[in-house]
Amino acid sequence: MIAKKKLIALLLLLAGLTLAALLPLGISNYMLRVIDMMLITYVCVLSLFVIFGMTGQMSFAQAGYWGLGAYITAILTTKFGVAPLLALLVSALGTGLFVALVGMALFRLHGHYFGFATIGVVMTLNGIFQNWTPVTGGANGIGNIPPFGIGGWHITSDLGYFYLLLFFAVAISLVTEWIHRSALGRSFMAIRDNEIAAKCMGVNSYFTKNVAYVISGVYCGIAGSLFAFLSSYTSATSFVFPQSVLYLVMLMLGGYNSLLGPIIGTVLLIMLPEWFRPLQEYILLVYGIGVILLMVVMPDGLIGGGKKLYACVVRKKCQPDDFDKSADNGIG
Amino acid sequence: MALQLLITSLAMGIVYGMVAMGMVLIWRAGGIVNFAQGELLMAGAFISYTLAETMGIPVWIALVACAVIMGLVGVVFHFITYWPLRNSWDITVIISTIGASIAMKEAATLIWGPAPLSVEPLVDGVARFSNVSIEWQFIVTIGVSAVLMAGIFYLLERTFLGHILQATVQDQYAASLIGIPVIVATSLTFAISALIAGVGGMLLAPVFFVTSTMGGITGLKAFAAVVIGGFGSVHGAIIGGIIVGFVDTFSGAYISSTYRDAIVFMFLIVVLVIRPQGLFGEKIAEKV
Amino acid sequence: MVLDKLCKRFGGVVAADEVSFNLSPARVHGLIGPNGSGKTTMLNLISGVTDMDAGKITLAGEDITHKPNYTRARRGIARTFQHPRLLKRCDIQSNLYLGIDLADKKGHVANPQDASLKEILAAAGLKLDLDESITTLSYGQQKLFEIVRALLTRPKVLLLDEPAAGLNSKEMEQVDALIGLAVRSNTAVLLVEHSMDLIMNICHTITVLNFGRKIAEGVPAEIQSNDAVIEAYLGRGRSA
Repeated sequence: MIAKKKLIALLLLLAGLTLAALLPLGISNYMLRVIDMMLITYVCVLSLFVIFGMTGQMSFAQAGYWGLGAYITAILTTKFGVAPLLALLVSALGTGLFVALVGMALFRLHGHYFGFATIGVVMTLNGIFQNWTPVTGGANGIGNIPPFGIGGWHITSDLGYFYLLLFFAVAISLVTEWIHRSALGRSFMAIRDNEIAAKCMGVNSYFTKNVAYVISGVYCGIAGSLFAFLSSYTSATSFVFPQSVLYLVMLMLGGYNSLLGPIIGTVLLIMLPEWFRPLQEYILLVYGIGVILLMVVMPDGLIGGGKKLYACVVRKKCQPDDFDKSADNGIG
Repeated sequence: MALQLLITSLAMGIVYGMVAMGMVLIWRAGGIVNFAQGELLMAGAFISYTLAETMGIPVWIALVACAVIMGLVGVVFHFITYWPLRNSWDITVIISTIGASIAMKEAATLIWGPAPLSVEPLVDGVARFSNVSIEWQFIVTIGVSAVLMAGIFYLLERTFLGHILQATVQDQYAASLIGIPVIVATSLTFAISALIAGVGGMLLAPVFFVTSTMGGITGLKAFAAVVIGGFGSVHGAIIGGIIVGFVDTFSGAYISSTYRDAIVFMFLIVVLVIRPQGLFGEKIAEKV
Repeated sequence: MVLDKLCKRFGGVVAADEVSFNLSPARVHGLIGPNGSGKTTMLNLISGVTDMDAGKITLAGEDITHKPNYTRARRGIARTFQHPRLLKRCDIQSNLYLGIDLADKKGHVANPQDASLKEILAAAGLKLDLDESITTLSYGQQKLFEIVRALLTRPKVLLLDEPAAGLNSKEMEQVDALIGLAVRSNTAVLLVEHSMDLIMNICHTITVLNFGRKIAEGVPAEIQSNDAVIEAYLGRGRSA
């Protein structure tokens, strides 16, 4: 039974990968660029999946960490001539280290206060990106970032970047799913669902939250570094609070309780504007209203809502929506 | 110079405080954080533009009309974003208010266009105190806001209606048992909250240009004010707003005008690290 | 486990006033008292959910007074709550594994196919579909499940906070069976309960609290005839 399930999952994964690998054949360069950006965004949404979806700690700073990764790569490659692969590594670790420091300071806060403080973090980071001209280039940003490459070999096309990004997106997804199923992932989810129970089950919640946050920071660092290579240019205007909000909306629309959520949320929110080009002027209005409607109809996101619908229609096991607010972790 | 700055920062701070107060009222009534509070302020600014500039209604009547319209907007807002989700995870409601903020911004762009609009001040000209001159608009802003907030304070603390609202805030279930319709209480709270944010927008409109993005940063700073003051505390929000106004204006004038936003939020982090529950927030005890 | 003069005040209310007693392996110790007498507070102090004002807790010779609650859990203190605290957004499997994970941390190798798990689930009378959401369980099942989760951690000390409250008679028997299982695996059990049948039947010793103070301790028969206890429960007038 379990072996069969695993086999099916593996086959599905292979089929999906083959499909994804063949995807760029026959689409325009523009579309390829959109998909490249989608993969980067997906990694950032995964970072939020780890810290918020699994651990329940709302972080609005992810776009700032993404920017930090991008700037580290931009500065190392343009000013110090560091090799791309090393720059990627330093971006990942550097961002992780920075996030560890933020986490150590801010996880002493309880409930929503942590989330509120991370708004401060992203605003502060963006202020620094925007204004620390000698280092970050200020409003001009940093240009002429060399392409990604190893040794003498360099990626020169968007197609090349597509495969590079696909590799990272898949690798990070696999790591995330592995965490999701491990004891570490369960300790994350225990903190999300009931922090007191988690502690009474031997989970050091302060330390564990920091672990989750550092993992999410490393994801953002990688995504940022890849973004810098892809666009060969970084500017502070990308790494803003609304971008973090976008990640959150993607995660919540897709569903925060399984890896499929981030995938569906990211694909939908990136592709919908492309599909509905004629509606251009109204697209954001539709988007805003759509978000409200979806939350009202499916508070658990598309995946959660879909599961409920499936259970209700196919297996005739309807679950009442009895969410107990009082047992939630939070203030008040 | 210093006195001018003092008045400016007090005016800005009191507007942040008003928006923050609206957030706190909603938080206390429904246990949710409204991320569209800044957009309610934006709506107030645009509506005041239409009333005063396009329709030519006298400003003081426009102010009252704007307040009434915003109250209605608040009720509509309540029924769309909060009421259907009142029993869900609070993050879900946050997302739905984020959706509302995006929709409101876009609706404003579609209705009023993307170009910044300018609004005449409520009272023109400058006041002169010996050798300093201060724009009347700032003084009017402080006066109107103070009166409005005092009025709401009185309403909540001293009147029967206020007690009903407070009772509902304390315990929605118990309130419904003794016959207080929760739906009326929460929608009234949203109305008050939208009203003060909207009036804040009308007061800010002459100081800045009216744009669809004006709510974003103002909302975030008001949010910082709520957190600094301590979530759930009404007077905390007002004092937090004034503190944010001071930090904002003075850091802009004396430290760096480019870093002023970053400094405000750095200040927020520092306050939280020193005092995790904010200045006037209750210490959060985990219930077992 | 030795509890020595535990004290806790909440504002002006004394919730625990120099309460001392011992728990020993394979024994069930009852903790009873009128509502508000500080029973749950005692569990919170022992499990480390609430900080103590004064007193000392020793577990197997080690002073754990100043250890945080997750360390105490890793040393072998497991507990349940008056209202079950399960992982509401997770499936049953993750909820079970949370207990097994802790046993793992303590160096026990375990897996869900383990015989002990089957035995525990059989005692609890739970037939679980591992992929289902935890919220598909009824309230009574959730309470039983929480005891199962606690037992899976292989605790040295098991603290039960009103495990039988709100259960039907069938489920109460299952609580009884689970406690029996704990005793057979050499666990010390501290049972807070209002159901006197359960207390008097399975406890080896009983401590009675009133207003945060220990007013009696002894075997069930002694407690049943203790004047101070009867007075605390029924009031002075009627005990005369």
